[in-house]
Amino acid sequence: MAVTAKAFQLWRSRIAPQDTVSDVCRVAGIKRSTLAQQLVRGKVSVSTIVSIARGYSLPPVEALAVFEGFGDVPAGVRPPTDDELVSQVSHVDILRLLVARSEDKEYAGSDLQLNLAPFPHRNSVRAWIEAIDPGDLRQQLAESTGVARQNLSAQLTAGRLAPEIAVQAARIAGVSLTSGLVVTGLLTPEEGGWPQDGRARALCALPDLDLVLLARDRLDVLGKQIRRAELEDGKDRAMWENLG
Amino acid sequence: MNNLAIQWIVLAVCALGAIVRLPGVLHGRGKVVFTALVLLTIAVALSLDAIYLAVDALMGGVNLANLLIRFFLYAVFLLIGVRMAAAFDSAGARRMIVGPFGIAVLIITISATVYFFLASELQGSSTGLRDFGSQDTVLQYAAVGRLYPAYVAACLVVPGFRAAFDRGSRPLHRVASGLLACGFAIVVAYVVLRLMPIELQQWDIILPFLAILLTVLGLCLIWLSHIVSRRSHRQANKLA
Repeated sequence: MAVTAKAFQLWRSRIAPQDTVSDVCRVAGIKRSTLAQQLVRGKVSVSTIVSIARGYSLPPVEALAVFEGFGDVPAGVRPPTDDELVSQVSHVDILRLLVARSEDKEYAGSDLQLNLAPFPHRNSVRAWIEAIDPGDLRQQLAESTGVARQNLSAQLTAGRLAPEIAVQAARIAGVSLTSGLVVTGLLTPEEGGWPQDGRARALCALPDLDLVLLARDRLDVLGKQIRRAELEDGKDRAMWENLG
Repeated sequence: MNNLAIQWIVLAVCALGAIVRLPGVLHGRGKVVFTALVLLTIAVALSLDAIYLAVDALMGGVNLANLLIRFFLYAVFLLIGVRMAAAFDSAGARRMIVGPFGIAVLIITISATVYFFLASELQGSSTGLRDFGSQDTVLQYAAVGRLYPAYVAACLVVPGFRAAFDRGSRPLHRVASGLLACGFAIVVAYVVLRLMPIELQQWDIILPFLAILLTVLGLCLIWLSHIVSRRSHRQANKLA
């Protein structure tokens, strides 16, 4: 979730020795009160570090490497796997490709025709975890980070994942250590070393069968989400109509 | 804070809780809970000396107003009980309240209330029938009066707390459910305590009025969340 305030102050005095905390906030475009609060609590969030690094034109990955738990990240940057790339395509884009192929309108090789929606999409984090899972990722993740499985599931359901856990998941799965930071939206794809047209290429390379099964799985997840949302709506309505 | 202040504050909260629902009621929404809150407000008002003595004088000075409080409270518990059972989606609680057994409890309570009222000598207005505490039938009358509220409250404590601990619900609804459940739990606790040979002293006022306060606040929260959701006009498109 965060780095210690002490390590942060040390880093800050190194990258911007002349600047006050206010200057740093202005350059990074973050609220002064936010940083002040984080310093008081003794924990500075990773997204603050990334914002400040961007403000001072430092590569965020290099900046993160200064802090405990992220030291091996720069050396662990690799191109994302095709499964990871495809996991970051939204279900709408997958269905669009499926329809295009069904109508025999896919222009082979011309990836740009797809105009994929930017990611992360609404199920990015869970889709990524499922794409890199060697079989017992959640179990191993819970054991190595000490975060309860229930808590992990809650984070995934909410579309979140703490940066340390995202990096640890990548370590366990043996994929690029920046991938988890990209799919949680902490780093831009460029900062995390994701090629610009990688998703479109990986998606178009899927054989028909894989594409259909992928679409089915994504719709399955969507169906479950909508069912849960409707259940919650029903509860809300019961409250309002009877007691509101 | 003395008892009188507590009673007046609770009366104000009840009245406010009813008044804020008035615009909705004029549009045909939430009539049942509004009715219950109005009856509750009147019942609370009649527990105050100043109001009780004036009202009872108009009704002949034979403490008919006290009988009115009882009937209003039964109605409040019946109305809110049925609505809460539906809101918490608890078929069991609903069956217990409006099923044959629940209706039987209600009829027995009403009959016993009327019987003990008629069997008592109640000449001269006295708030809460305090001047007649030496009569056995008056004590029975008071005990019976607590029976039905306690029964309905007991039916709703578990569904209420279950709704409060439901992680899939809105936080505001969980808080509201928790307040309602606490209010009803206090009603049950109060009635049980009254059955024991303990001097409740100030708690004799604090417990029931705290229960009313929590219940009305819970209902207000749900009303507020309903208003906010209507204002936002969020026609939820779950695919977008």
